[in-house]
Amino acid sequence: MNEKILNKNQISKLFETLKKEYNFFAPSKEKGNVIFKKIKDSEEIELNYLNSKIPPKDLVFPRIDTIFEYKINGKAIEIVNSKSLECRNIIFGIRPCDAYSFYLFENFFQFGKFKDELYLKKRRGSLLMGIGCNNPRNTCFCTSLNGHPFKKDHLDIFLVDLGDNYLVEPVTEKGKELVLNLKWLSDATKKDVEKAKDLSEKAELAISTKLDFKDTFKNLDSSFNSLLWKEISESCLGCGTCAYLCPTCTCFDVIDENDHYNKRGRRIRIWDTCQFCLYSLETSGHNPRDGKIQRCRNRIMHKFCYYPKNYNLIGCVGCGRCIQFCPVNNDLRLIIGKINKIKKEKEEMIVSV
Amino acid sequence: MKKTSGIEIENQAIENSIKEIATKLFRNKEVDAILGYSAGTIPMASPPIIIRKESDVNKLVWNNFCSINLAKNLLELVPKSFDDKKNNLKIGIVAKGCVGRALIHLAAENQIELKNIKIIGIACNGIINKKRIEKEIGEREIIDISLFNEDILIKGKGFEQPFSYNEYLNELCKKCKVKSPPTSPELKEICSGKCEEVLSIEDDFKDISDYELKSYDEKWKYVKDLLTNCIRCYACREACPMCYCHLCFVDQNKPLWFGKTTELSEIIIFHLIRAMHLAGRCVACGACTSVCPMGIDLNLITRKLEQIVKERFNFTSGLNIVDLPPMATLNMSDKEDFITEEN
Repeated sequence: MNEKILNKNQISKLFETLKKEYNFFAPSKEKGNVIFKKIKDSEEIELNYLNSKIPPKDLVFPRIDTIFEYKINGKAIEIVNSKSLECRNIIFGIRPCDAYSFYLFENFFQFGKFKDELYLKKRRGSLLMGIGCNNPRNTCFCTSLNGHPFKKDHLDIFLVDLGDNYLVEPVTEKGKELVLNLKWLSDATKKDVEKAKDLSEKAELAISTKLDFKDTFKNLDSSFNSLLWKEISESCLGCGTCAYLCPTCTCFDVIDENDHYNKRGRRIRIWDTCQFCLYSLETSGHNPRDGKIQRCRNRIMHKFCYYPKNYNLIGCVGCGRCIQFCPVNNDLRLIIGKINKIKKEKEEMIVSV
Repeated sequence: MKKTSGIEIENQAIENSIKEIATKLFRNKEVDAILGYSAGTIPMASPPIIIRKESDVNKLVWNNFCSINLAKNLLELVPKSFDDKKNNLKIGIVAKGCVGRALIHLAAENQIELKNIKIIGIACNGIINKKRIEKEIGEREIIDISLFNEDILIKGKGFEQPFSYNEYLNELCKKCKVKSPPTSPELKEICSGKCEEVLSIEDDFKDISDYELKSYDEKWKYVKDLLTNCIRCYACREACPMCYCHLCFVDQNKPLWFGKTTELSEIIIFHLIRAMHLAGRCVACGACTSVCPMGIDLNLITRKLEQIVKERFNFTSGLNIVDLPPMATLNMSDKEDFITEEN
């Protein structure tokens, strides 16, 4: 049998073994929020969590990423070659939905002939050691998007929380190699595997939100000027919560930070969101997304219309964070419901209040 | 049979009065739209709603999670608040005390015209500190919430936990002395429901006296620690009725005024400058804290602003439209010693 057993009290051993070769990232509790961070002490690892508040995307697509640094010498600018992009990371405890978001990222970060090395090097250097979701939230809907709380497809090693133990199942070659080297893991029994299967079925049944995306793309594609957008955006604050806590949002801004006094600087990229006023502001002063109607529309269109158009995939993993954390409870489930109900009408122009 | 608590009865009475006044305003054609709170789709959420016809009045609710300051939603309607024939739209607004204060202050800053507004005043019985409860519940999912006697009862899969209502109110609500929208003879026309005249309020600021005792280094550590988790989503700014700048200072990029990253120094710059801009303007509604996805509690900043302005200018924002806000006036006798102060 391929499956192994990792006792929960062996987590620190696992960490101590792996940290020699890898940067070990795991869920950790900071000021009441579960986030993924680089673990320095195994005590920091939080094993009791539903999912992290900030998705682990910032481990492969950081909030601040330095593209390069430079020195200014008179009129000449010299690029200071920044550090190597090679890395060896383990992301322990990532949920299947978030692992799927990394798969979606591949489309964006290597679209056509463009290869985003900043992302790709981090992604290739990261081994995903995920844990199935025993207790999906009421706001979760991964099963509506070909996902499953126990989906292992996008992981290297798949773990199931059996209570005191984890069932460890290597998925990819990389994962198999790593598990093989952890010789101290004991073998799983048939009973363990059956228990895991049982938990998987229970988790699937626990997902109560079912969304139908059958007509969503088609309806959106013909609803750019629908009056619906006014209704959908009416209560929106225009903050960046939904985007910054979304595992699939990839928009970024590139900024040159000049340090005039020290004759140096850096070019960085930071997360951006279509909800902000500078997002689509053009140098002419024109802004094609200059109000929240257009901005809310952009966010929904991007995930459920442009993404399917470009990559033949829906740009959402069903983690439910945007539903859970939207400060004004502008519920994506209701938005999708409204979009699905759009009848083929003549396009109506947006009328402002 | 389910026992109803005193607070629940109070909430029901408030909700009924909102619905009653709203119906009357629509019937008498005194308003074209009403801003209020609606039932949320997840526990502890009561999102804002705009209703435009009498038959939607039943969508209006009142409970202790109506944390958004609707004055901000109203402000957004103002630049466009006219119908096709360019007639001014008349808007009703469900107003707890801090919403009323925000409306008055916005009028004092010439941002809105009160004459087109109908204030549906209520005596607010406090907003529950949802973030504090969420923190204590931790990694368990909250499925249902109810009020039982003097407790907030939180239910989830396999657990039930009571929280004391009085203890788990927003800190600002505990200190609030303006439960209903302030009114005055000149505002009588636009006020309905429960509105009260407030001449001035006394406040001992005892709740922040611990902070006052801290050393300079300890204060700095406190602020750094408080803001570390900020993701700069700007929910605080977007929810704030006083943050109405067309272009916020942090969005200035030609040239770039402040860094846009989530490095701590830049997070702090954003929050402290925003705080400076709110001195004498903040109405202590707590909306900023209630919307923060990271659970950052900006209560201390709010209270400090109130305290400083009260002590230096004997001013409380949003009590009447006659007294000009100190930051909007220049007086030769204004104190300048703060410039040379060291702490």
